[in-house]
Amino acid sequence: MIAPAAIMIFLFFLMPVGLTAIFAMTSMSTATGISGGVWQVTQGAVNRLEGDMPALAEGIAQPRFVVDEEGLAALEALKLKPGYVIELRAEHVGEVFPSRREAERVIKALKDRPSTREVKQISDLFNRSVLNTRFESREALVRSLEKLGFKLTPEERDKVATATYTGWVWTTDNFRMIGNSPDMAQIFLNTAFYVAVTLLLFNVSYALFLAVTTHYMPPTTASVFRAIWLLPRITPVVIYVLMWKWLTWDNGFLSLLMGQFGVPPKNYLLDNSYNAWFFVILINGFIGASMGMLVFSSAIKAIPETQFHASEVDGASRWQQIRYIILPQLRWPILFVTCYQTLSLLASFQEIHLSTRGGPGKATEVWSLAAFHTALNNYTGNLEYGLGAAMALVLVVVGLVLSLIYLRVFRYDTLISKPLIED
Amino acid sequence: MRILLDKFSKSFGATKVIEDMDLNVGSGEMLALLGPSGCGKSTTLFAICGIHRPTSGRILFGNRDVTSLSSQERNVGVVFQSYALYPHMTVAENIGFPLTVRRMTAAEINKRVAEIAALVHIDNLLDRKPSQLSGGQQQRVALARALIRRPDVLLLDEPLANLDAKLRLEMRSEIRRLQKETGITAILVTHDQVEAMSMCDRIAIMKAGEIVQIATPSEMYNDPRTAFVAGFLGNPPISFLTGRAKQGAFALDDGGLKLPLAALSGIPDGTALTLGIRPEHFGIGGDVPVEGKVTFAETQGRENLYDVVLPDGSALRSIQPARSDVKPGDSVRWSLDSKAALVFGEDGRRL
Repeated sequence: MIAPAAIMIFLFFLMPVGLTAIFAMTSMSTATGISGGVWQVTQGAVNRLEGDMPALAEGIAQPRFVVDEEGLAALEALKLKPGYVIELRAEHVGEVFPSRREAERVIKALKDRPSTREVKQISDLFNRSVLNTRFESREALVRSLEKLGFKLTPEERDKVATATYTGWVWTTDNFRMIGNSPDMAQIFLNTAFYVAVTLLLFNVSYALFLAVTTHYMPPTTASVFRAIWLLPRITPVVIYVLMWKWLTWDNGFLSLLMGQFGVPPKNYLLDNSYNAWFFVILINGFIGASMGMLVFSSAIKAIPETQFHASEVDGASRWQQIRYIILPQLRWPILFVTCYQTLSLLASFQEIHLSTRGGPGKATEVWSLAAFHTALNNYTGNLEYGLGAAMALVLVVVGLVLSLIYLRVFRYDTLISKPLIED
Repeated sequence: MRILLDKFSKSFGATKVIEDMDLNVGSGEMLALLGPSGCGKSTTLFAICGIHRPTSGRILFGNRDVTSLSSQERNVGVVFQSYALYPHMTVAENIGFPLTVRRMTAAEINKRVAEIAALVHIDNLLDRKPSQLSGGQQQRVALARALIRRPDVLLLDEPLANLDAKLRLEMRSEIRRLQKETGITAILVTHDQVEAMSMCDRIAIMKAGEIVQIATPSEMYNDPRTAFVAGFLGNPPISFLTGRAKQGAFALDDGGLKLPLAALSGIPDGTALTLGIRPEHFGIGGDVPVEGKVTFAETQGRENLYDVVLPDGSALRSIQPARSDVKPGDSVRWSLDSKAALVFGEDGRRL
């Protein structure tokens, strides 16, 4: 029965991760498209070339004028004085002028004395600038540049081709960008803060608190408490977050309440970054606490009742019972919840997306939300699929590494060790 | 330390389990609470250790009224049927737990654990986890944990139920030895009459929440107050014949057997009676002959056990030194020992 499981793992885990890894190694974005591109000397390409080849960059940005057969034929077609064509073909064919002024000086000096209007007309015909021209192949671009008098070494040709290519290319720049950008570092710190605080305060500690306290309650009361804490989990997330927004809006409950004490209304959610974090952590923590509570409650229920009786007659107070009997036996559930919730907090962003959208500014932007914004939904409209995929891949790696660390910290091997019974 | 239950009652909701029970366990005595399952013996035990609170009545340890004290304040040691060892702690931690929660120093705990472990012969297992121990070893750990704090009372809830036959025999004498060595007052809850008889100074036999009789094992065996007690004690069990009183004698309804008994003087003729005959009192060497047919024979090595059906269909059991001349289907004429016969009235009371 390995085959079905292997197929499932391949389809639903390996393939998405593999595809993410592949996209992460490209520069795909809205600008490059996901199919091939063309070679085009855009202002952006010129800017990119400026660092390495300032002369070339300046040159290709400027118009170029070349006296060639093509232009002469066009001139003949204009049916101006035939002397122009004859003289240009005889004296100047093949000449290249780096600017319009120089080309026009030559034209003006023709024996038939063209008028100023004609000079302009003629010079236009010899304009061979490459700026904003699209070339279907790299060779066409190079040929065109050479015709214009740019003498390029093969190395320089490569650089120009790279700079002017409009399609996506294989690259590791995404990771370099993630590693070097201070914005990314800030998002990383945000994520670490968000995951650590939500996990420790709510998903584990508060869940433990709820599980232990409900354990000592009469069954009916305990069920009521558990049901109440399940509500955030079972409410559709959009509605749940909307209720928080209603609580914190500038005409919401908090503002109305504080208004009674003369405090002017404000948006408590997005007022400042401290408030934003406070609410983001509460919103996620209240959802996360319920799962830990259920897992821990059932784990406590699984402890034989006689162990509680025994510890009572052994003289253990309730606190000692929790400390010596309950908590040590919850090691595996705590490991599970910590691990699971770390991964789910790392990966989930819908609550933040619905509440603060990462704001105010980028104060509550976390990694998965940033990846979503980068790759799929952002204000500028240039969706950087490659960079977003790289960010997602980083998230997968961080999740795997954290899981391994948890297993080590909780000494997983001792949890699954076999008993050795002998008589 | 003496334990006294005074008009102790316990009910769960509307279900009355025990009503107005009086029980006095002497200091240093080991008492068995014996009875079928559901008779309230474990409830009594849990009330003594404080896990259940009595509905009414008092519980005294010595002269101290502990009725309203929690388990933590009572200083009792309990061995549970499942042992209730803490699976995540080593043997040493398990045994030392009652001292740990009292915040004793580690050195003192280690010393006491070593002492008690030597007493119950598990000093070589202190670093193991309970899951790495056999049933008998777990039992000893549970005993050591119950004893380490030198409790006023040791309570044992079916401590041998989960052991195999050989180990049960061994632990029986082991528990008795420990109880005698420590001089602790102990109460043993069991449904096994052999355990109760072999381990305890006195037995309190319970039925439906009431103590039917309290006596030493031999008194109770020889002088049961009711048919229930007579039926509960003894292995193989006593056999009962139903009949009527007839001129100061017990007579089977078909007249096949007539047994004059001193206890029946003054009982009107025709009163319904039950006669109890223990297997060792039916066979060779009795004084009243009985004829019947052997329907079942079981060899136990040293002794043989026979079921004999009388002509009226009632059955008697006989245990005799091993012999090979009687087979199922044989007709036999064996005799009853009329002096040892027990006769009970219709309500089950001994006459």
